[in-house]
Amino acid sequence: MKKFLSVILALSLFLSLAVVSAHAEDITLDVIIAQYGDNTQNWFLGEGMDGSNFVKKFEEANPGIKLNLEVVSWNDLYTVVSTRISNNNAPDILNIDVFADYANEGLLLPVSDYCPEELFNDFFPQFIEQSVIDGTVWAVPDLASARAVFYNEDLLREAGVDKVPETWAELEDASQAILDAFGGDVYPWGIDMTTDEGQAAFAYYVWGNNGGFVDENGEWALNTDANVEAIEYAIGLVNKGFTNPNPATQTRYDIQDMFAAGKMAMIIAPNQLPTYIKSKEGTVEPGTAALPHNEGATSSSVGVMDRIMAFRDDSAPDQAARNEAIGKFLTFFYDPANYVGWVSMEGFLPAVNSAVGALVESDPSFQAWLDVLGSAKFYPTTKAEWNDVKQGVIAVEQQALTGGNVKDLLDALQAQITGK
Amino acid sequence: MRSVFVRHRWEPYLWILPSILLMLVFVVFPIGIVFRLAFSRISRAGVVGEFIGLKNFQDAVSSTAFPQVMLNTAFWVVSVVGLSTLIGFTCAMVLNQPFRGRKIARSIMVFPWAASLVIQASVWNYIIKMEYGNLNNILLNLGFLQNAVNWRASYQIEFIWECAVGIIVTIPFVTFTVLSGLQSIDASYYEAATVDGAGFWNKLRHVTIPLVKPSLTVSTVLNIIYVFNSFPIIYTITKGAPANKTDTMVTYLYMLAFYDQRKGPATALSVIGFLILCVASGCYMLMTMRKEDSL
Amino acid sequence: MKTLSANPVPRRRILLLILSALLLTILLCSLTFLRFSSQLYVKRSPNTFVGDEKYKTVRQEVELQLEDFRTQGTDAVIEEQVIERVNSKNETTSLVIFTICAANSRSGWNLLSAGLPSSYLLALILVLSAAAWLLTLCSSFSGNRALGIASFAFSLAAFFLIPVIFNRLNLDLSRTAALAQSGGDTAALDRLRPALDRFLFGSTAGDQLDSMLSALKYNICAAPFLLLLPAFITVCASVLAACRPLKKTLLRVALYVSVILFSLFILYPFFVMFITAFRSNTETTDMYFLRILPSRWVFSNLGDILKRNVLRYLGNSLLISGGATIIALLCGIPAAYAMARMDFRGKKAYLGFVIMSQMFSPVVLLVGISRLMNTLHLNDTLMGLMFINAAFNQAFAIWLLRGTFVSISSEMEQAACIDGCSVLGAMLRILLPMAAPGIVTTLIFVFINAWNEYTVSTVLISTQTNKPITVGITQFSSFNMIEWQYLFAAALLATVPVIILFMLIEKHLAAGLTAGGVKG
Repeated sequence: MKKFLSVILALSLFLSLAVVSAHAEDITLDVIIAQYGDNTQNWFLGEGMDGSNFVKKFEEANPGIKLNLEVVSWNDLYTVVSTRISNNNAPDILNIDVFADYANEGLLLPVSDYCPEELFNDFFPQFIEQSVIDGTVWAVPDLASARAVFYNEDLLREAGVDKVPETWAELEDASQAILDAFGGDVYPWGIDMTTDEGQAAFAYYVWGNNGGFVDENGEWALNTDANVEAIEYAIGLVNKGFTNPNPATQTRYDIQDMFAAGKMAMIIAPNQLPTYIKSKEGTVEPGTAALPHNEGATSSSVGVMDRIMAFRDDSAPDQAARNEAIGKFLTFFYDPANYVGWVSMEGFLPAVNSAVGALVESDPSFQAWLDVLGSAKFYPTTKAEWNDVKQGVIAVEQQALTGGNVKDLLDALQAQITGK
Repeated sequence: MRSVFVRHRWEPYLWILPSILLMLVFVVFPIGIVFRLAFSRISRAGVVGEFIGLKNFQDAVSSTAFPQVMLNTAFWVVSVVGLSTLIGFTCAMVLNQPFRGRKIARSIMVFPWAASLVIQASVWNYIIKMEYGNLNNILLNLGFLQNAVNWRASYQIEFIWECAVGIIVTIPFVTFTVLSGLQSIDASYYEAATVDGAGFWNKLRHVTIPLVKPSLTVSTVLNIIYVFNSFPIIYTITKGAPANKTDTMVTYLYMLAFYDQRKGPATALSVIGFLILCVASGCYMLMTMRKEDSL
Repeated sequence: MKTLSANPVPRRRILLLILSALLLTILLCSLTFLRFSSQLYVKRSPNTFVGDEKYKTVRQEVELQLEDFRTQGTDAVIEEQVIERVNSKNETTSLVIFTICAANSRSGWNLLSAGLPSSYLLALILVLSAAAWLLTLCSSFSGNRALGIASFAFSLAAFFLIPVIFNRLNLDLSRTAALAQSGGDTAALDRLRPALDRFLFGSTAGDQLDSMLSALKYNICAAPFLLLLPAFITVCASVLAACRPLKKTLLRVALYVSVILFSLFILYPFFVMFITAFRSNTETTDMYFLRILPSRWVFSNLGDILKRNVLRYLGNSLLISGGATIIALLCGIPAAYAMARMDFRGKKAYLGFVIMSQMFSPVVLLVGISRLMNTLHLNDTLMGLMFINAAFNQAFAIWLLRGTFVSISSEMEQAACIDGCSVLGAMLRILLPMAAPGIVTTLIFVFINAWNEYTVSTVLISTQTNKPITVGITQFSSFNMIEWQYLFAAALLATVPVIILFMLIEKHLAAGLTAGGVKG
C-alpha cells in the first residue's frame, strides 16, 4: 500500500511538473475575471463571442501568449484571491473592485509599466483618478455603472403621487400615500443593507445629506451628525414599513425582482435595470430620477466602478516580456471590436472613450447615463482602510436594523478605523 | 487479541502507515500551517508576516460579535445534534417495525443524506423567501393562507430555520446508525422482557437504549464534529446577517477572513474552535468509553 | 364470523353511530357549509377628512356602487374605516377606506348544485359516506367482516377528501380572483365564471363578476372542515363493524399517517427542486403565486445548462469522488485491519490522532491546504482534490471498516495463516469478500462526501474545465441574478445519480453501519 501511495504521489508530482515545464517558452498569464452575469463565462470561455470566445481569439491573435483564464463568482472571488495571495500564487491579471490593499502592500505593478500609452489615454480621466495612490496609477477601470432612482409610473399615479419625490420628506409622504393606496400589496421603497452591498445604501443616504465617508481633507469622517441623521432616516424608512421587509438579507436582486413584478414602486438601482427587467419578462416601464436628498442638501449620483490590475511576479524570468503580454491582453480587451460587445452584453457603462461612439449609436439612452456618471461620486476606494470601512458600515446598518443606536455604532466604527 | 497476525513487532505499523502518511501530509500539515498563521501577523491582502504571539487571539476574543457567535454556535450544535438524534431515533424505531411500504420509506429517508448541503441549503433558501418562495406558493394555492407570510421576519426566526435545515439533513445519518443497532438486537431480549411484563417504555429504557448506545456513541462524536464545522447552510441562507447575529463560529471566521480581510484573528478563532472540539469530544469519548472499554 | 362472535359489538351502538353521522352530515350541509363575508368593493381615499368635500364625493361614488349591487339582488352594506397619521411635515393626514361588504352564507346544497370542480368533490364525499353507512349496516347485520373492511376503506376515502374539497374550493375562488385581477389567462376564468356566479352571487353578478371577484380575494372560511366530525364518526362505526381491536387499528393508521407525512416532508425540498428546475425564468420569481406546478414545463432548461459545461463538471466530480474513494479505501482498509486484528503499542494514540484529524473543517484549513498544494504542485489538479477528500474521510472510513472487520470472526483467517497463507493473502481472500457489505457502505460514504465537497474545490481549482459540479453550479447565481431554474436543474442532475446510488445500497447501508456500530 505504501508503495502504491508513494508511486501515485511521485507520479502526480512528475506529471504536474511536466505540465508546467511543457509551456515554459510561452508566457502563460493567469487571469481571474469576476462574473458579472450569466453571459460572462460564455463570452470568455464558451461560445458567447460570435460563436468563439475571448481566450481563443486572443491566443490566435497573440501567438506565444497563453491565457489561463478563470471566471469566479463574486461570492467566492475574495476567498479565491486572498488565498492565492497568501500562498504567493497571485494571478497575473485580476478583475475585482478593490485595489488599495494590494497596492499598499506592494503586490501590484504600476499601470505605466505595462499599459500602452495610447490605451492609457483612452480611459476616462475621472475614472483613472479613482485608482491613484501617491501619484501612481495602480489599476485601470474595466466598466462602471451609475445608480439612480427608478420608479414605477403606474403605481405612483394610482397612489395619487404626481411628483417623483426629490427630498426625503417627499419620499416619506409618497411612501405613505402608496401604502395607503395599496395596503400591503406594494412596497413603496427598496433598501438593500445586505453583506453583499450594504455600503451602497450607506452612500445613497449620507451623500444625500451632504455627509460622506471622508471629510474635505480626505480623512475618515464616519460619525458626523449628517451621517448619523442619514442612517437614522434610512432605518426609519424600514421601521415605518415603507420598504421591503428584510433589508439585511434581501439582496439587490430580490428587490429588483419585486420592482420588475410591480410589487415595489421605487428603487435605487444601477443603469442596467431595464435590461434586467426585460430578462425577467417584466412589463414595468421604469422612469428614472435623481437620488432623493435631505432638505438643504444636494442630490448626488453614485457611481460604482470595477478594475483590472496586474500583480507583480518577481519569479517571472523575463519581466519585460511579461509586461508586454499584459499590455497585449489589455489592448485586445479594450479594442472596441471586443469591448463594446462585452460592456453592452450586461448593460454596463464603458470606461474608455473609443467605445462610446458605438454604444451610443446602438442605444441613445447611454449618453444620458454617461453624463450622470461624469458627475457621480465614487467610494473612497483609494484609501487603505476602505475594506474595513465597507464591512464596518454594513455592520452598523445591520445592527441599527436590530435596534442599535446609530450614533454609538458610528462613533465606535470611527474610533476603530482611525485608531489603527 | 494476541494473535497469529502479528509476526514482527513492526508489522502493524506498516499496515497503518499509508493512512498515517495520507493524513500527515494532507491534514496535519495544513493544520500546522494554520497554527503558525494563528501566531503571525497577516496583512489584509493575505501576506504572512512576523510572529506576534497571542495578539490574534486577543483580537478575536475581544471583538464585539464574539459572545453572540459563541452563543449561536452552542445553540446550533446542541439543537441540531440533540434534536436530530431524538428524531432520528424515533424514525429508526418506526422504520424497524414491519409494515407495508417500509422499503420505500427507508429509501426516502436516504434523500437528504444524498443531496449536497450547498444544494439543499439553496433549495430551502428559495422555499422560505417571502415574495416568491415555494412555501408561500404552496400554502396560498392550497388555500391554507390568505396572504403571503414573511417566514423570515426576524433574525432569530431565520436562525431557527437554519437549525431546522441542519436537523433535517442530519436525521438520516442518525436514523441509519440507530437502525443498524436495532437490527442487531436479538429478539429474545424483547421476549424475555415481555415475559417479565415490561411495557413499551420499560422495554425502551432497559433493552433498546442500552443496546443501541454503542453505535450511537461514536456517531454522536462524529456528528458533533460535523455539525460544529458545518458551513454551507448558514452561509447560503443568511451569510450571518444581520451583523453576525446568525453566525456560528465557522461562518464567522470565514466572513472574518475573506470579507473583513482579517485573517489573523480568523485563524486564531479556528484554533480556538479546534481546542473546544478536542475538549468536548474528548470528554464525551472518555465518559462513554470508560464504561464500555470498547478498545 | 369468528372475530365477530368472539368479540361482539352491540348492533345498537353501531346503528346509533351511523344515525348520528347521517344526521350531522345533513345538518352541516344544509346549515353552514360555507360562510363568507366578501368585500365586494374597496375604495381607499388618502388625505380625506370625514365630512369635507372630497369625502362627500367619494362617499357618493361608493353609494352609487352599492345601489348597483342592490339592484342586482346582492345584500350589501358600506363599512367605513378612518386612519389618521402624522406625516414628515407634522401635518395630520387621514385615510378613509370604504368597503362594500356582502355577508353571504352558502350551504352545501348550494355548492352541490353550482357545478364547480369542488361541487363534484363534495358529491363524491357524500356518495362515499353513504356507501360506507350502507356497508357498515350490512356488515353489522350479516356479520361479514369483508363488508366492514370495505366500509372502513370508503369512510377513510371520504375522510381524506374533506381537506381536498376545502382547498379545491379556495382554489376555485382565489385562482379566479387572481386571474381576474391580473387579467391573465381568461379562458380558465371564462370556464369557471357561470358556476362561480351561480354559487357566490345567485346568478346576479352578470358583468360585475370580475370586479367582485377581485375584491373577494382569499376570503373563504374553513367551514368544510366541520364535515370532519360526521366523517370521523363514520370511521369509528366502520372500524367497529370491521371488528378488529380498535386500539391496534388506530395505532396502525397512526403509523401509516405519520410515515406518509414525514416522507412528504422529506421529499418536499426535492419536489421544489424538481418543479423549479423546469419553470421559466419569469415564473421562478412569480410574486403572485399563480401556480404550484409550472404553467409550461421548460425542459430546455436542462439543455441550456448542458451547454454550459455541466456534463464536464459532473465528469470531474465523478473522477474526484472515484479517485478519493479508491485512495481512502487503499489507505483505510489496511489501517482498519490492523486496528481490528492486531495489537500494538500506540493503538489508542493512533485512534485519537484519527479523530483529531477530523476536528478542523476544510473551510478553516483553506489557507493551509492551498499552500500545501502549491508545494506539491497539485494546485488546480483533480489529483489534489482526490487526496484532500480521501484524507478528510479517513477517520470515517477507518471507523466503519474496523467495525465491519471486528464483527467478522477471525477464526478462518487464523486457520489460513497457520496453513501458511500470508496475512495479506488471508485478508484479501477471506476477510474482504466477507466484509463486502461494509466495504460498499464505506465506499459510498466517502464517495458522497467527496461528491458534495464545495469550499476546498472553490479555492484549489482555477481552470474552468477542472471544476467539480458543486463549484460549477455557482455560475448560475451570479452577480446580476440568481437563475433559480438553472441552479436547480443543475442540482437535479447532480443529485439524482447519487440518490439512485443510495437507494440501491440502502439495504447494505444499515448492515454496514451495524458492523460499524457494534462495539464502537
